Amino acid sequence: MSPQPFDSLKGFAVTFRQMFKKPITQQYPEYKRPVYPRFRGRHRLWRHENGLEKCVGCSLCAAACPADCIRVVAAENTPGNRVSPGERYARIYEINLSRCIFCGYCELACPFDAITLEAEFEISEYSRDDLIYTKDMLLAEPVKRMPVADRDLYDTPTPVWKAES
Amino acid sequence: MPRRELLLEDADTRDLTKLAGYEAIGGYASLRKALDMERQAVLAELLDANVRGRGGAGFPMGRKASFLPHPDDTPKPIYLVANADESEPGTFKDREILLRVPHLFVEGVVIAAYTIGSGHAFIYLRGEYLAEFEVVTAALEEARAAGYLGKNVLGSGWDLTVVVHRGAGAYICGEETGLLESLEGRRGQPRTKPPFPAISGLYASPTLINNVETLATVPKILELGGKKYARIGVENSAGTRVFSLSGNVVNGGNYELELGTTLRELIDEIGGGIPDGRELKAIIPGGSSVPVLTAAEVDTPLDFDSMAQAGTMLGSGAVIVIDDRCCMVQLGLRVAQFYMHESCGKCTPCREGTRWMVQLLRKIEEGEATQGELDVLLNVCDRILGNCLCPLGDAAAMPVASYVAKFRDEFQRHIDEGACPFGGESSLAGVLAPVDQHDAHLRSQIEVPGIRAERESLTEAHG
Amino acid sequence: MVRVTIDGQEVLAPKGQGLVETAASVGIEIPVFCYEPRLGPPVGACRMCLCEVEGLPKLQAACTLTATDGLVLRTARTSEQAAGGQSAILEFILLNHPLDCPDCDKGGECPLQDLTFRFGPGSTRMQFPKRTFDKPIPISPLIALDRERCILCYRCTRFSESVSEDGQLVAANRGAQSIIATFEDEPYRAHFSGNVLELCPVGALTSTTYRFRARPWEIQNVPTVCGLCPVGCNVWATTREGKVARILSRNHPEVHEGWLCDKGRFAYDHLRAEDRLRTPLVRVRRRGFEEASHEAALDAAEAGLRAAGSSVVVAFSGGETVEQATALARIVREGLGSDAALLPDDWDAALDAFRAPLSAIRDADVCLILGDDPVVERAPVVDLWLRAARRAEAEVIAVNPAGDVQAAPGSAAQVCADLREGKKVPTELRETAKSLKSAKRVALVWSEDDPTGGRHVGALANELHENGRAEVAVYVLPRTPNGRGVATAWYTVGEGRSDPPGEGEIGALVVSGDEAASDPRVADLAARASFVLTTAMFQSELTAWSHVVLPGTSYLEREGTYVNLEGRPQRLRRAVVPFGPDELEWLAQLAERFGVAIDPWAAPTAAEQADLPPADEFAWSRPDPQAPPGKPAGPGLELVRIGALFSGAAVERIPQLQFQRPAAEVELAHEDASTRGIAPGEAVVVTSNGTSRELRAGLNRKLRVGVVRIPAEHAKDFGDRVQVSRLSTGESR
Repeated sequence: MSPQPFDSLKGFAVTFRQMFKKPITQQYPEYKRPVYPRFRGRHRLWRHENGLEKCVGCSLCAAACPADCIRVVAAENTPGNRVSPGERYARIYEINLSRCIFCGYCELACPFDAITLEAEFEISEYSRDDLIYTKDMLLAEPVKRMPVADRDLYDTPTPVWKAES
Repeated sequence: MPRRELLLEDADTRDLTKLAGYEAIGGYASLRKALDMERQAVLAELLDANVRGRGGAGFPMGRKASFLPHPDDTPKPIYLVANADESEPGTFKDREILLRVPHLFVEGVVIAAYTIGSGHAFIYLRGEYLAEFEVVTAALEEARAAGYLGKNVLGSGWDLTVVVHRGAGAYICGEETGLLESLEGRRGQPRTKPPFPAISGLYASPTLINNVETLATVPKILELGGKKYARIGVENSAGTRVFSLSGNVVNGGNYELELGTTLRELIDEIGGGIPDGRELKAIIPGGSSVPVLTAAEVDTPLDFDSMAQAGTMLGSGAVIVIDDRCCMVQLGLRVAQFYMHESCGKCTPCREGTRWMVQLLRKIEEGEATQGELDVLLNVCDRILGNCLCPLGDAAAMPVASYVAKFRDEFQRHIDEGACPFGGESSLAGVLAPVDQHDAHLRSQIEVPGIRAERESLTEAHG
Repeated sequence: MVRVTIDGQEVLAPKGQGLVETAASVGIEIPVFCYEPRLGPPVGACRMCLCEVEGLPKLQAACTLTATDGLVLRTARTSEQAAGGQSAILEFILLNHPLDCPDCDKGGECPLQDLTFRFGPGSTRMQFPKRTFDKPIPISPLIALDRERCILCYRCTRFSESVSEDGQLVAANRGAQSIIATFEDEPYRAHFSGNVLELCPVGALTSTTYRFRARPWEIQNVPTVCGLCPVGCNVWATTREGKVARILSRNHPEVHEGWLCDKGRFAYDHLRAEDRLRTPLVRVRRRGFEEASHEAALDAAEAGLRAAGSSVVVAFSGGETVEQATALARIVREGLGSDAALLPDDWDAALDAFRAPLSAIRDADVCLILGDDPVVERAPVVDLWLRAARRAEAEVIAVNPAGDVQAAPGSAAQVCADLREGKKVPTELRETAKSLKSAKRVALVWSEDDPTGGRHVGALANELHENGRAEVAVYVLPRTPNGRGVATAWYTVGEGRSDPPGEGEIGALVVSGDEAASDPRVADLAARASFVLTTAMFQSELTAWSHVVLPGTSYLEREGTYVNLEGRPQRLRRAVVPFGPDELEWLAQLAERFGVAIDPWAAPTAAEQADLPPADEFAWSRPDPQAPPGKPAGPGLELVRIGALFSGAAVERIPQLQFQRPAAEVELAHEDASTRGIAPGEAVVVTSNGTSRELRAGLNRKLRVGVVRIPAEHAKDFGDRVQVSRLSTGESR
């Protein structure tokens, strides 16, 4: 007996069987798969509980950035206008997200945990200028919340210093 | 050894503060003798006498004087400086000499100035010694009136001006280059050596600096002759010294003894032993800057070599007796506080290290320290030793390290028991150091518009 | 030369060379904090440089050691003991050092950070509270002091004590509570205070004008030359995002040894002043000024100049580059046919026979200072050299109304003539003449305006050289930064011809630069001119009179050559781009319209530090000039106007420098004050030439009787003599 057409029929059978199996395709954007807890998405600047910004404008994130996409201009806190604890704050803080490679070095470099990379990744824009995020944009809560996978399942326990800072 | 007095001879029976009294026992005869000799000959006598400096370092005086250039070989003036800034804790021998035999000291100054060819002598007197200042200036005035100093000393054609300068309360100005800086009107912070004062000292000119007791010995050396003086005492530690005995002892005070007398003799026989029936625990043999000796080492002779062999130093000759009611940790803390307070602040290890030592010792004394912190204390002492600009840093680190080494169990008990085992009953309890009484934070009074002084620090705001 | 072994490497070094330099010469780093050879002999205070020396048990401070034959040194690289010692020192420094790196301006360019990384411990064992102070404290409007960060290296106090000799920055307290403070807590007010910012190895002393402006990884440094005084200190212009953020010094050992004055260091923000002219302005009849395009402005300029024919006068400011001055000279001389110019500083080229670098002042035996303007106000760094000379045991003699020899005002030329006499020297100059005679190396400093271009002092130098066989260096201090270069360019283009402006009507006046625009002589000329073309950075009375105003550029925005007072041609480099074309560019365009071909750019050069061409080939060949007659005596007191350093358009626009502006004071001699019953600090009325002004009286023990000194900007409209009286009595004498 010749192998053909039996082998071809076997192959077709695989195809036909798959046609009736439930696909594992996740239907994005109706279903958004939860990202891992350490996922590096869009940056976020944080505040202390008393409302002062954590960022002191030290520019270490700009120094660490391999893509050179962060621009920090610092200014002095005055008694009338205290923005951060300490002597200085970031008057201008801009990240050019079209250059950013989302490596997370800025998060690692920050001495005050002022900047972290959060879960948001839906940041497409129509114009490149809109991709330059300013400080207010980075300080704000994200408009859309991305689902984040359960920390206990996927991550080592959050160290004390991070959870309580 | 028998008690033998050279410097303080006759001081008990006569009033030697007045010129008449001093001359009556043959005072200023050595000066006349010296003026008849060549300068080199006087220097030779001093070298033969092998007298070692009495200030603390113990450097042979004759050799130090020989480092100075001959007056003909240098265009600069030559200066003599008498170090009367006695500040080593436990030491009060110089004040004895200044108060009771000032003319002996003045005569020594004049002879020493003659020997090195100096026309200007400075006496740097500790500022707190008010009575001594009165006595010394009165003696100098008497000497000048009698022609023993000033213009044309005793008709020799040589002029000597003596200036008394009062210090302003810094231990570091007892260090020779710190003293020179203070004398020049600057901050009393030591200089690096080389150049040594013998080449470039006061006003960058050759200078000989000696302790009061060393200078007071000079007339006696000339009276006896250098070689005869060298036979007093023991090998390599010639002559007598005035030892200041203090602490937990019945008869504290200044006692002039031949070098080589043992500590036991001084403490038990002359000093009357420990009062209140307590036991001897420790002895500091040469001022707080030297390592401590345990009670077992009480038979160590008081001379330079024996002390060095025992791992400590003869230092300033101040013997502090400690009985078993004294907590060694408290003693270490008190001593460290002194050095922290007196550190001049010029070099990093002493300035920062002494402060750290005090913080660690305080924590140990309060019983809050961990085992690791005791090791850190020893490591800090080790890191200060040898790295400082002047010996003050070593003077802080060596004693404290010796307390830990020789009384380790007491330190250990503080750590293990979480409190001082003496429970507030130690003889040092409640004794305050000056540093506890100062609040030295300086507040700026400059008002300059344009800059806002921040008052919150980063750590404060973080909470 | 001696043989020294460092880390096993044999090095041949000059005997007595500092070991830190010897090690550096073979690429071995010995870490230091307090070591700075420019501050004098090493102190060995910080103990950072501890190294092992063979034969000595303890570690030694390498900075205090010099190269001697057979010395064997082991640094931290090869000696565990030394590495441990250096790590210990860093641990001790960091013990009480605050965790300020993110806040601190020094971060990124901080030797403490770098040395900790290379030689220090990896972590801290300090768990106790650190010592704290109030911080930061402004010790002047320019400098902020942070005592917590201070590592007490004492470089700043040593600078204040033994370089600038103002004694204002001192150490107070003792031990761990030592602090740096100003004397009596007064603001640090001195001409050279900014140098401590560069000396401080940590962020304890920081600049308030640069505070938080940039981080070291965000900046570019452009090597250029300061253009605010004729010394021409070499600087780095630090720029961020196209703006100058600060000025740092770039050590030229012969010119300024790395020191800068506060004007040169802090006046850079005048580039961003709000009232800076940004576009060309053309006066339109009955409508005042209108902004015009560059082309339109050049058209108007061309029209005005053509209408003037050859009746054109050009007023230079002394701030032009040599290329600019040459271009302007060629337009006026070749294009317009006029040789009339007003030069701010004249210069006689024969003085080049006595040229020498400024560093030669320190090696002189006698320094003679002539002229009524204080040297520190006219060319500040020269004053530092003179102080260095005095410390090196030279004899420094100042001959002026307030000097060691109290000369009459304006008598500098007569003094030169008198000192040339030899035998018949007047009494008060005898000592000076004796010192000059026995000196082997003489430095002559001329510190006032001289219309002969320096011939008086040149004649004296020639005399000393010929008859005294001395080596003489002459330093004539021009009033303007490139006065010498401009004068040379003008004479070179015209082959020596030059006409004074002349009386009567002028067809066109070309005013080049702000200094010329504020010169009263130029205002006189403008009143007589039919057409005025002005280049300036800022608006002024003169620009309001002009017909065409072109925006000027600062020395930081131009590329070109400045010739400093030594005769050293130095290259200015463009640190930031100006608003529009710079002067050379539009001069080239204007020149084209008159048929003169000029390159719109300066010739390229790669030299970072300029050399001074030697003086060998020049010889003094001038007849002895006549000293001008003395001023007639009269009632009242003789006025000497002082040109202050902290004046001028740039300084006026820096808020942090306002505290240095000359006070409204009149300096009196003690006798004059007591005969008038005036106490120090009292308010007085000064009257002259029909005007009167209220000033505060200051007494100067060294001031010559019969003379008063007033800063020039408070003595406007005064004549040569003034009357001074107490405010309350009103009697003038």
